[in-house]
Amino acid sequence: MNPVVRWFHQLGSPPYFDRFAARWAPWAYALAVLVMAYGLWGALFNVPADYQQGDSFRILYIHVPSAWMSLFVFALMAFYAAIALIWRIKLCEILAMACAPIGAAFTLITLATGSIWGKPMWGTWWDWDPRLTTELVLLFLYFGVIGLYHAIDDRRAAARAAGLLAIVGVALLPVIRYSVVWWNSLHQGQTISLFGKSTMDASMIQPLIWMIVGTKLWFIGSLLMRARADNLRREIGKDWVRQLAASNAGDNAR
Amino acid sequence: MSYQNYVVAAYAVFFVVLLWDFLAPRIGIRQLLKTAKTRVTRQTKPDKNEPLTRES
Repeated sequence: MNPVVRWFHQLGSPPYFDRFAARWAPWAYALAVLVMAYGLWGALFNVPADYQQGDSFRILYIHVPSAWMSLFVFALMAFYAAIALIWRIKLCEILAMACAPIGAAFTLITLATGSIWGKPMWGTWWDWDPRLTTELVLLFLYFGVIGLYHAIDDRRAAARAAGLLAIVGVALLPVIRYSVVWWNSLHQGQTISLFGKSTMDASMIQPLIWMIVGTKLWFIGSLLMRARADNLRREIGKDWVRQLAASNAGDNAR
Repeated sequence: MSYQNYVVAAYAVFFVVLLWDFLAPRIGIRQLLKTAKTRVTRQTKPDKNEPLTRES
Protein backbone atom coordinates (compact mmCIF):
# COMPACT_ATOMS: atom_id res chain seq x y z
CA MET A 1 0.00 0.00 0.00
CA ASN A 2 1.15 3.53 -0.74
CA PRO A 3 2.74 4.98 2.46
CA VAL A 4 0.59 8.15 2.31
CA VAL A 5 -2.63 6.14 1.95
CA ARG A 6 -1.50 3.83 4.75
CA TRP A 7 -0.79 6.86 6.96
CA PHE A 8 -4.31 8.20 6.32
CA HIS A 9 -5.76 4.82 7.29
CA GLN A 10 -3.63 4.76 10.45
CA LEU A 11 -4.75 8.28 11.34
CA GLY A 12 -8.32 6.98 11.51
CA SER A 13 -7.32 4.79 14.45
CA PRO A 14 -8.24 6.64 17.71
CA PRO A 15 -5.05 5.75 19.66
CA TYR A 16 -2.86 6.62 16.68
CA PHE A 17 -4.65 9.96 16.24
CA ASP A 18 -4.29 10.71 19.95
CA ARG A 19 -0.53 10.21 19.78
CA PHE A 20 -0.34 12.22 16.56
CA ALA A 21 -2.32 15.16 17.99
CA ALA A 22 -0.45 15.14 21.31
CA ARG A 23 2.85 15.23 19.43
CA TRP A 24 2.14 17.90 16.80
CA ALA A 25 -0.27 20.33 18.49
CA PRO A 26 2.44 21.94 20.69
CA TRP A 27 4.62 22.49 17.61
CA ALA A 28 1.76 24.19 15.76
CA TYR A 29 1.04 26.41 18.78
CA ALA A 30 4.71 27.30 19.22
CA LEU A 31 5.12 28.19 15.54
CA ALA A 32 1.87 30.19 15.66
CA VAL A 33 3.05 32.21 18.65
CA LEU A 34 6.40 32.96 16.99
CA VAL A 35 4.84 33.97 13.67
CA MET A 36 2.09 36.04 15.30
CA ALA A 37 4.59 37.73 17.64
CA TYR A 38 6.64 38.78 14.61
CA GLY A 39 3.50 39.95 12.80
CA LEU A 40 2.23 41.90 15.82
CA TRP A 41 5.61 43.53 16.35
CA GLY A 42 5.43 44.79 12.75
CA ALA A 43 1.78 45.78 13.10
CA LEU A 44 2.21 47.73 16.32
CA PHE A 45 5.71 49.20 16.06
CA ASN A 46 7.00 49.09 12.48
CA VAL A 47 4.13 50.12 10.24
CA PRO A 48 3.42 53.89 10.09
CA ALA A 49 0.05 55.22 11.23
CA ASP A 50 -2.59 55.61 8.53
CA TYR A 51 -2.96 59.18 7.28
CA GLN A 52 -6.74 59.13 7.78
CA GLN A 53 -7.42 56.53 10.51
CA GLY A 54 -4.38 57.22 12.66
CA ASP A 55 -3.35 54.25 14.81
CA SER A 56 -6.84 52.74 14.95
CA PHE A 57 -6.07 51.00 11.64
CA ARG A 58 -3.69 48.71 13.60
CA ILE A 59 -6.83 46.83 14.72
CA LEU A 60 -7.02 45.62 11.12
CA TYR A 61 -4.06 43.27 11.75
CA ILE A 62 -6.17 41.12 14.05
CA HIS A 63 -9.58 41.87 12.53
CA VAL A 64 -8.85 40.81 8.94
CA PRO A 65 -7.03 37.50 9.70
CA SER A 66 -9.82 36.59 12.16
CA ALA A 67 -12.50 37.41 9.58
CA TRP A 68 -10.77 35.26 6.97
CA MET A 69 -10.42 32.45 9.52
CA SER A 70 -14.13 32.67 10.40
CA LEU A 71 -15.01 31.88 6.76
CA PHE A 72 -12.18 29.40 6.15
CA VAL A 73 -12.96 27.36 9.28
CA PHE A 74 -16.66 27.15 8.40
CA ALA A 75 -15.84 25.94 4.87
CA LEU A 76 -13.41 23.35 6.28
CA MET A 77 -15.98 22.24 8.86
CA ALA A 78 -18.54 21.66 6.10
CA PHE A 79 -15.90 19.80 4.04
CA TYR A 80 -15.11 17.42 6.93
CA ALA A 81 -18.83 17.04 7.65
CA ALA A 82 -19.51 16.10 4.02
CA ILE A 83 -16.74 13.46 4.08
CA ALA A 84 -18.11 12.16 7.39
CA LEU A 85 -21.64 11.94 5.99
CA ILE A 86 -20.63 10.26 2.73
CA TRP A 87 -17.95 7.82 3.93
CA ARG A 88 -18.89 7.60 7.63
CA ILE A 89 -15.34 8.36 8.73
CA LYS A 90 -15.41 8.91 12.49
CA LEU A 91 -12.27 11.05 12.56
CA CYS A 92 -13.84 13.48 10.06
CA GLU A 93 -16.89 13.82 12.33
CA ILE A 94 -14.55 14.65 15.21
CA LEU A 95 -12.53 17.13 13.13
CA ALA A 96 -15.70 18.82 11.81
CA MET A 97 -17.09 19.29 15.31
CA ALA A 98 -13.71 20.46 16.61
CA CYS A 99 -13.75 23.23 13.98
CA ALA A 100 -16.96 24.81 15.35
CA PRO A 101 -15.71 26.40 18.62
CA ILE A 102 -12.51 27.63 16.95
CA GLY A 103 -14.49 29.21 14.12
CA ALA A 104 -16.90 30.74 16.62
CA ALA A 105 -13.94 32.20 18.55
CA PHE A 106 -12.53 33.82 15.39
CA THR A 107 -15.98 35.13 14.42
CA LEU A 108 -16.38 36.62 17.89
CA ILE A 109 -12.98 38.32 17.58
CA THR A 110 -13.98 39.65 14.14
CA LEU A 111 -17.23 41.15 15.42
CA ALA A 112 -15.73 42.56 18.63
CA THR A 113 -12.64 44.10 17.02
CA GLY A 114 -14.74 45.45 14.15
CA SER A 115 -17.08 47.04 16.64
CA ILE A 116 -14.19 48.55 18.61
CA TRP A 117 -12.72 49.94 15.39
CA GLY A 118 -16.16 51.18 14.23
CA LYS A 119 -16.78 53.37 17.26
CA PRO A 120 -14.04 55.96 16.54
CA MET A 121 -14.21 55.59 12.73
CA TRP A 122 -17.96 55.30 12.04
CA GLY A 123 -19.17 56.87 15.28
CA THR A 124 -21.11 53.77 16.30
CA TRP A 125 -20.38 50.38 17.89
CA TRP A 126 -22.83 48.57 15.61
CA ASP A 127 -24.83 49.02 12.43
CA TRP A 128 -27.19 46.58 10.73
CA ASP A 129 -24.96 46.71 7.69
CA PRO A 130 -25.02 43.66 5.33
CA ARG A 131 -21.43 42.60 6.12
CA LEU A 132 -21.84 42.95 9.89
CA THR A 133 -25.26 41.29 9.92
CA THR A 134 -24.18 38.30 7.81
CA GLU A 135 -21.08 37.84 9.99
CA LEU A 136 -23.37 37.85 13.06
CA VAL A 137 -25.56 35.21 11.39
CA LEU A 138 -22.36 33.17 10.86
CA LEU A 139 -21.67 33.33 14.61
CA PHE A 140 -25.22 32.08 15.29
CA LEU A 141 -24.67 29.26 12.80
CA TYR A 142 -21.52 28.25 14.67
CA PHE A 143 -23.52 28.32 17.93
CA GLY A 144 -26.21 26.23 16.23
CA VAL A 145 -23.68 23.58 15.18
CA ILE A 146 -22.14 23.49 18.69
CA GLY A 147 -25.56 23.39 20.37
CA LEU A 148 -26.92 20.66 18.10
CA TYR A 149 -23.82 18.53 18.61
CA HIS A 150 -24.21 18.70 22.38
CA ALA A 151 -28.01 18.29 22.39
CA ILE A 152 -27.98 14.67 21.19
CA ASP A 153 -26.57 11.91 23.39
CA ASP A 154 -25.43 9.62 20.58
CA ARG A 155 -22.15 11.26 19.47
CA ARG A 156 -22.28 9.91 15.93
CA ALA A 157 -25.91 10.89 15.34
CA ALA A 158 -25.16 14.30 16.86
CA ALA A 159 -22.17 14.83 14.57
CA ARG A 160 -24.23 13.86 11.52
CA ALA A 161 -27.05 16.28 12.43
CA ALA A 162 -24.67 19.15 13.22
CA GLY A 163 -22.62 18.35 10.13
CA LEU A 164 -25.70 18.66 7.97
CA LEU A 165 -26.34 22.12 9.44
CA ALA A 166 -22.74 23.06 8.63
CA ILE A 167 -23.14 21.91 5.02
CA VAL A 168 -26.36 23.90 4.58
CA GLY A 169 -24.73 26.91 6.26
CA VAL A 170 -22.01 27.06 3.58
CA ALA A 171 -24.54 28.96 1.44
CA LEU A 172 -23.95 31.94 3.73
CA LEU A 173 -20.22 32.20 2.94
CA PRO A 174 -20.53 33.80 -0.55
CA VAL A 175 -23.21 36.14 0.84
CA ILE A 176 -20.73 37.37 3.48
CA ARG A 177 -17.93 37.62 0.92
CA TYR A 178 -19.94 39.60 -1.66
CA SER A 179 -22.22 41.51 0.73
CA VAL A 180 -20.14 44.67 0.22
CA VAL A 181 -20.55 44.32 -3.57
CA TRP A 182 -24.22 43.35 -3.74
CA TRP A 183 -25.58 45.95 -1.32
CA ASN A 184 -24.77 49.48 -0.24
CA SER A 185 -22.60 48.88 2.76
CA LEU A 186 -21.02 50.98 5.48
CA HIS A 187 -18.27 48.38 5.58
CA GLN A 188 -15.45 49.10 3.17
CA GLY A 189 -15.01 47.00 0.04
CA GLN A 190 -12.15 44.63 -0.64
CA THR A 191 -8.77 46.29 -0.08
CA ILE A 192 -6.55 43.21 0.11
CA SER A 193 -6.38 40.68 -2.68
CA LEU A 194 -4.24 37.54 -2.61
CA PHE A 195 -4.03 37.24 -6.38
CA GLY A 196 -4.94 40.69 -7.72
CA LYS A 197 -3.77 44.19 -6.90
CA SER A 198 -4.33 45.36 -3.31
CA THR A 199 -5.32 48.96 -2.66
CA MET A 200 -3.44 48.82 0.65
CA ASP A 201 0.09 50.18 0.60
CA ALA A 202 2.73 47.44 0.22
CA SER A 203 4.58 48.60 3.36
CA MET A 204 1.50 47.82 5.45
CA ILE A 205 0.77 44.37 4.02
CA GLN A 206 3.72 42.32 5.33
CA PRO A 207 2.62 42.12 9.01
CA LEU A 208 -0.84 41.19 7.80
CA ILE A 209 0.55 38.21 5.88
CA TRP A 210 2.44 37.05 9.00
CA MET A 211 -0.76 37.33 11.03
CA ILE A 212 -2.71 35.36 8.43
CA VAL A 213 -0.08 32.58 8.52
CA GLY A 214 0.03 32.75 12.34
CA THR A 215 -3.73 32.36 12.75
CA LYS A 216 -3.67 29.37 10.38
CA LEU A 217 -0.96 27.70 12.47
CA TRP A 218 -2.90 28.49 15.65
CA PHE A 219 -5.94 26.86 14.08
CA ILE A 220 -3.96 23.68 13.35
CA GLY A 221 -2.82 23.45 16.98
CA SER A 222 -6.27 24.16 18.34
CA LEU A 223 -7.97 21.75 15.94
CA LEU A 224 -5.63 18.93 16.96
CA MET A 225 -6.17 19.59 20.68
CA ARG A 226 -9.96 19.88 20.43
CA ALA A 227 -10.17 16.80 18.21
CA ARG A 228 -7.97 14.94 20.71
CA ALA A 229 -10.31 15.91 23.56
CA ASP A 230 -13.40 14.74 21.64
CA ASN A 231 -11.64 11.55 20.56
CA LEU A 232 -10.81 10.76 24.21
CA ARG A 233 -14.40 11.56 25.29
CA ARG A 234 -15.76 9.06 22.77
CA GLU A 235 -13.22 6.39 23.67
CA ILE A 236 -13.16 6.84 27.44
CA GLY A 237 -14.18 3.25 28.21
CA LYS A 238 -11.54 1.70 25.94
CA ASP A 239 -8.36 0.00 27.14
CA TRP A 240 -5.97 2.36 25.41
CA VAL A 241 -7.51 5.38 27.22
CA ARG A 242 -7.26 3.55 30.56
CA GLN A 243 -3.63 2.75 29.88
CA LEU A 244 -2.98 6.35 28.84
CA ALA A 245 -4.73 7.67 31.96
CA ALA A 246 -2.90 5.26 34.25
CA SER A 247 0.54 5.88 32.78
CA ASN A 248 0.33 9.48 31.76
CA ALA A 249 -2.12 11.25 34.09
CA GLY A 250 0.53 13.60 35.43
CA ASP A 251 1.42 15.29 32.18
CA ASN A 252 -1.75 14.51 30.25
CA ALA A 253 -2.47 17.82 28.56
CA ARG A 254 0.85 18.41 26.84
CA MET B 1 -0.45 56.61 19.77
CA SER B 2 -3.86 57.92 18.65
CA TYR B 3 -6.98 55.93 19.59
CA GLN B 4 -4.79 54.00 22.03
CA ASN B 5 -7.68 52.76 24.20
CA TYR B 6 -9.48 51.28 21.20
CA VAL B 7 -6.33 49.55 19.95
CA VAL B 8 -5.58 48.14 23.42
CA ALA B 9 -9.18 46.96 23.88
CA ALA B 10 -9.21 45.21 20.48
CA TYR B 11 -5.90 43.42 21.11
CA ALA B 12 -7.07 42.47 24.61
CA VAL B 13 -10.17 40.80 23.12
CA PHE B 14 -7.95 38.95 20.64
CA PHE B 15 -5.61 37.62 23.34
CA VAL B 16 -8.37 36.72 25.83
CA VAL B 17 -10.32 34.72 23.23
CA LEU B 18 -7.15 32.93 22.02
CA LEU B 19 -6.21 32.18 25.63
CA TRP B 20 -9.64 30.60 26.18
CA ASP B 21 -9.20 28.65 22.94
CA PHE B 22 -5.81 27.42 24.19
CA LEU B 23 -6.94 26.44 27.68
CA ALA B 24 -10.40 24.92 27.05
CA PRO B 25 -9.28 21.69 25.27
CA ARG B 26 -6.37 21.20 27.73
CA ILE B 27 -8.72 21.39 30.70
CA GLY B 28 -11.09 18.98 28.92
CA ILE B 29 -8.32 16.45 28.25
CA ARG B 30 -7.04 16.71 31.83
CA GLN B 31 -10.53 16.05 33.23
CA LEU B 32 -11.17 13.15 30.85
CA LEU B 33 -7.92 11.43 31.76
CA LYS B 34 -8.62 12.03 35.43
CA THR B 35 -12.05 10.40 35.01
CA ALA B 36 -10.50 7.46 33.16
CA LYS B 37 -7.87 7.06 35.89
CA THR B 38 -10.55 7.12 38.62
CA ARG B 39 -12.44 4.35 36.80
CA VAL B 40 -9.28 2.23 36.58
CA THR B 41 -8.60 2.75 40.31
CA ARG B 42 -12.18 1.80 41.23
CA GLN B 43 -12.06 -1.36 39.14
CA THR B 44 -8.72 -2.56 40.50
CA LYS B 45 -9.47 -1.72 44.16
CA PRO B 46 -10.75 -4.72 46.23
CA ASP B 47 -14.35 -4.38 47.40
CA LYS B 48 -14.31 -3.75 51.17
CA ASN B 49 -17.98 -4.73 51.56
CA GLU B 50 -17.37 -8.21 50.20
CA PRO B 51 -17.71 -10.76 53.08
CA LEU B 52 -14.55 -12.59 54.15
CA THR B 53 -14.46 -16.24 53.23
CA ARG B 54 -12.03 -19.18 53.39
CA GLU B 55 -13.21 -20.48 50.05
CA SER B 56 -10.86 -19.68 47.25
